[in-house]
Amino acid sequence: MGAILTLEISIFSLFFGLIFGLIAALCKLSNNFILRNIAIFYIWLIRSTPLLVQLFIIYFGFPQFGIDLGPIISGILGLALNVGAYNAETIRGGIISIPPGQAEASRSLGMSQALTMRRIILPQALKIIIPPLGNNFIILIKDTSLVSTITVVELTLTAQRLIGSTYKPFEMYLAAAFLYAILTSAASFIMLKFEKRMDKTRR
Amino acid sequence: MQNKNKENISDLMVSIRNLHKSFGELEVLKGINLDVMHSQVIGIIGPSGSGKSTLLRCINHLEEPTSGEIFVDGILVNDKKLKRKNFQKHLNRVRCHMGMVFQQFNLFPHKTVLQNIIEAPIQALKQNKEKSVQKAESLLEKVGLLDKINNYPFTLSGGQQQRVAIARALAMEPEIMLFDEVTSALDPELVGDVLRVMEDLAKDGMTMLVVTHEMGFAEKVANRVIFMADGVVVEDSKPHEMFTNPREERTRQFLTDILN
Repeated sequence: MGAILTLEISIFSLFFGLIFGLIAALCKLSNNFILRNIAIFYIWLIRSTPLLVQLFIIYFGFPQFGIDLGPIISGILGLALNVGAYNAETIRGGIISIPPGQAEASRSLGMSQALTMRRIILPQALKIIIPPLGNNFIILIKDTSLVSTITVVELTLTAQRLIGSTYKPFEMYLAAAFLYAILTSAASFIMLKFEKRMDKTRR
Repeated sequence: MQNKNKENISDLMVSIRNLHKSFGELEVLKGINLDVMHSQVIGIIGPSGSGKSTLLRCINHLEEPTSGEIFVDGILVNDKKLKRKNFQKHLNRVRCHMGMVFQQFNLFPHKTVLQNIIEAPIQALKQNKEKSVQKAESLLEKVGLLDKINNYPFTLSGGQQQRVAIARALAMEPEIMLFDEVTSALDPELVGDVLRVMEDLAKDGMTMLVVTHEMGFAEKVANRVIFMADGVVVEDSKPHEMFTNPREERTRQFLTDILN
């Protein structure tokens, strides 16, 4: 049961983490002073503080201001914001690695900035981004174990509870580790498939 | 053919007034004035660092002029009066009428030859796909690469890639073509095919600005050659005069240097 909740939390935070990452990356590359600095601040804030503290602030701190999101939503939000900051830098790195001639060619053909990003730059950047993005996702899946500290009964907390009734910590934690390994391996496998698919048509 | 002697204002394809461009402290263009008539083919030559490419890139605003005015087909390209967002739209419109070909081809590597050519007509001009594909096929036929229509750029030679890049620019049906040292990155045996395509284009009456190191091409195809040095136009004359009897000492020096 715990493994399924871990999987669900992973998928949701992965999805929102990707969206946060893309938005933050585009903002950080934007000419707009305000957007750029918001993105810089967000990335700095997340990367300079521990995930555990971020989760505590969202779950235990926010209710003080009347924002009570409950354990699961708090967990997903914390994880998504966290991985989003790392994704942002990954995505930004991919975008700026595309030779400027690509954007120039696209713009010289009368394509707008947005079209150029969407049709020309991002598809090319994707190929460069995928391996490090996969890396972020694997870290994310393992980091979901931290939401056990904010009372989410996911894989790790389930294991802990079972230890309480069985007194077999070695077997239980080993089983949990094994399930994490299955999840992360599946994630790597999917990313590898993606990579392969991009390679067929592009160099 | 139009009468090239009559300098009617409506015949002006490009008109550049007192163009300056600086990169930080470095002033690359120091007051360029240039009028280009419809269907004129202008070869722009000069030593590296003379500002030839920068001039070309200012015309379609890949570089923002520091001061001065650039008119293309009567429209002010660097219109300072427009607000930022409107200016971007204005630029997109203006650029639809100008084709540019780059030294490094800059084909989109994730798209096939066909997709490279139909991308902008479909996305920027909102042309329907069928019409765009037909147009692309006829252009590829013209540049002799119809058999490569479904290839990815990396499977093509430099010369083939450059001809696709020309076809891609032509698909927008531009009124003027800007060529930025388009044969400089090619192996010598591939240069001819690209120049032949450009020559055909000139014969069809396309207005062309060609930054080039191919003096033979400039002499044969251009009807005007401009020699630039240190950010100014030093000499502007008929190709034959430029190459056989240059007026300026600076031009003479350059031509002597490159011919040896």
